[in-house]
Amino acid sequence: MKKLLLLVFALMPVISFAQGFQVNLEGEKQIGMGHTGTGVLQDGASVFFNPGAVAMLPENYVQGGISPLLFKSTFNPQGTNVQDHTANKIATPFTFYAAWGPKDSFWKLGLGVYTPFGGLTDWGDNWQGKYVLESLNLKAIYIQPTLSIKLADFLSVGGGFVYNRGSVDLTQAIPLTNSSGQDGQAELKGSGKGYGWNAGIYIVTEVGVTIGITHRSEVNTTINNGNAIFTVPSSLQAQFPQPNTFSSSIPLPATTSIGFGFYPNKQWTLAFDANAISWDVYKVLAFNYGSTTAAGLQNTVEQRDYKDAFSLRAGAQYKTNKNLAIRFGGGYATTAVEDGFVSPEAPDANRAFVTGGLGYTFAHHLDLDVSFEYEHVMSRDQTNIQTQLAGTFETNVYIPGISLAYHW
Amino acid sequence: MKNFKLYILSGLLFVAACKPEIHTPSLSRGTANFSRFIAVGNSLTAGYSNGGLYLDGQLNSYPSIMAKQMAQVGGGAFNQPLFTSAQANGSGYLTLAGFTKAGSPIIDTVTTDLAIRTEYNAPGFGPVILYTKYTGDIENYGVPGIKLYNITTPQYGNYNGYFERLLPGDGSTTVLNTDYLDFVTAKPFTFFTDWLGNNDALSYATTGGAGDVLTDKTTFAQLYEASLQQLTVGGAKGVVATIPDVTSIPYFNTVTVAAINAQVAALGAKLYINALVSGTTYAPRLATNSDLIILTFPTSMLGTLVSTPYGPLPYGLTPYTPVDNKYVLDANEVALTRDYVQSYNNTIKSQAAARGLAVFDAYTYLNNVQLHGLEVDGISLSSAYITGGLFSLDGVHLTPRGYAIIANEFIKAINTTYSANVPLANVASYQGLKFP
Repeated sequence: MKKLLLLVFALMPVISFAQGFQVNLEGEKQIGMGHTGTGVLQDGASVFFNPGAVAMLPENYVQGGISPLLFKSTFNPQGTNVQDHTANKIATPFTFYAAWGPKDSFWKLGLGVYTPFGGLTDWGDNWQGKYVLESLNLKAIYIQPTLSIKLADFLSVGGGFVYNRGSVDLTQAIPLTNSSGQDGQAELKGSGKGYGWNAGIYIVTEVGVTIGITHRSEVNTTINNGNAIFTVPSSLQAQFPQPNTFSSSIPLPATTSIGFGFYPNKQWTLAFDANAISWDVYKVLAFNYGSTTAAGLQNTVEQRDYKDAFSLRAGAQYKTNKNLAIRFGGGYATTAVEDGFVSPEAPDANRAFVTGGLGYTFAHHLDLDVSFEYEHVMSRDQTNIQTQLAGTFETNVYIPGISLAYHW
Repeated sequence: MKNFKLYILSGLLFVAACKPEIHTPSLSRGTANFSRFIAVGNSLTAGYSNGGLYLDGQLNSYPSIMAKQMAQVGGGAFNQPLFTSAQANGSGYLTLAGFTKAGSPIIDTVTTDLAIRTEYNAPGFGPVILYTKYTGDIENYGVPGIKLYNITTPQYGNYNGYFERLLPGDGSTTVLNTDYLDFVTAKPFTFFTDWLGNNDALSYATTGGAGDVLTDKTTFAQLYEASLQQLTVGGAKGVVATIPDVTSIPYFNTVTVAAINAQVAALGAKLYINALVSGTTYAPRLATNSDLIILTFPTSMLGTLVSTPYGPLPYGLTPYTPVDNKYVLDANEVALTRDYVQSYNNTIKSQAAARGLAVFDAYTYLNNVQLHGLEVDGISLSSAYITGGLFSLDGVHLTPRGYAIIANEFIKAINTTYSANVPLANVASYQGLKFP
């Protein structure tokens, strides 16, 4: 008779990749003004900010922009003076927009390709939370064809269909040591898709104030047949079958916005936006594997319990002359992550940001816009309910940006 | 255009240097002084792991982990009686060679690069293995096998090879006349950990109540008081630890009566053990789930035929062929051990309180781990054998990761009692059990 043992290696890939991951970098002119654009009309980026306003654009637009993003996070484990830092890795949120319609017609077609959610975090394989997360690269690219119709000189509406191409690449250490003293490794890598829509109304009031109301729907993104790669000591490899696949589903939340534009004189534009982000849909994160074992790899369901988040933004643009615009703005956003659920993939907390920008129009047709955003994610001292990783996270985000827009 | 790129690039380079700095509470030694910190105790203190004392285990002993943290608040050098790298495997130890198809562990013993000097037969005691002598400075005085009961025994070095190793003189040929307590307090020190007393209960329990006796409660109290008196007489502060419930370790919880009964049910059989009735009277009876089978019980013996006055009968499966006492800590022995451990722990806590010493309540801590498991920095740990990650292959001693957790609990007790802020160790950087 054998020694009577039941071996179960509990492994919970602690993978939660939709967390506080909204990237608000959808147009350099708008970034310069505190990322406002629901209630003001600037350029083709309205395809994202307010599809309802696109028909009001005086010209046709083709434009592209990029906002290299540096996410610098620090973790101080509770009870120590250690500070763990994320590596310098630059994420590249980008935008492409086109808006076209016959001259002076009541409609315009639009196309937007943009990255509303994403994250690039690399804590390395030697920090206190390595069994929670080593690195994460998450991207969601939305492709949105749009139709916008001017119902009257003071009112236009529009809407678009959203196709999301999402991808994730995540690594974490597995606390199973091999004979040479190395940890096991898990990597989950895959892509998936989801669908949604984006609609808006744009109103030009008699007093000259412009108002926009938009709703971008939830986009439930499903990853099927992603690669699940587990490297563990060879005597345990059978418990972590290879090759293996995983599937998971993440709801990227709906956002409802209202925005106002004020135009005190020819030089000044003032914009205000308020957004409600319905993170509350994110209750659990489930991972299912292609093959599981009774004593090793098992499907997981983790509680997330996000709450809705809100943000307020304001910005201003001053045109020194016909060609040069100076912009500045800022805002504040509340976190979706409740106490006890903060974790290193996106160490979320309430955040404040300031922005600035410059725009110059060459030869009436080509806009060059640059922007810079500094975002500070407040320090948050937390013990994660599930992983018990305890300590303080604090994050700064630095985002320069540049775009070119051709309009005719 | 070119300029813009340049600006962005230089801007990025600039901000790359601007990582957030978190204002951390300043570290402090509080009212404690770690300039010479000594560790007093048994195998747990020595860094014993996987059934042996060897270099890698010593380097991950909880006192050495604590000393690294104390060094950040003025702690001094911390020397351990390390085995040399040529004799790194010390006493030898257990390794996991793999698993059978059924998932049972295959365990090997390391027998190369040992530090074994000789074995001699101590008169009136029995064989004692002697190890290569260590002659350098010592701050970690952990001696595997030592009981509190032994600390004032003058010739103890003649009976314990791990203690003999630290003393001058050859224990196989000369009478060693230094007792443990005098040895550890010979040089001045400012701070100590004291985790003695485990073996006063454990040596009885791990031999199924057959190979040793429990230390008398009053004797324990007297010796504990004498030891604390001598440890604190020079003004040193310290932290003591209570003795874990013997049933909170995998040594007693891995091979279970229920599992054996499930296996032998097919034969229509049930497990019989030789159990304590009272005093020193033992009698065979059916095993229950309250009886604890020890980890090293050779389960292959079950069912093998044993000759009896009634003819050959299967071992362990009839009242005439019960499992030997030495393999079972039966329900009465468990109760007896618990009663003694509780008394020992009351002594430890009340005497520590009387002297204002910090206490790490290992008894409560390990009971909680056994009940609820332990989640640390994304690592799920438990008291389970092999899979739990805390305990080494011997089912009694800890893995480096387990010792790091213990070190942190000692540090927390120190921080509380001495208003200190000694930083905690990073548990994730210490390894669990090694798998091939």
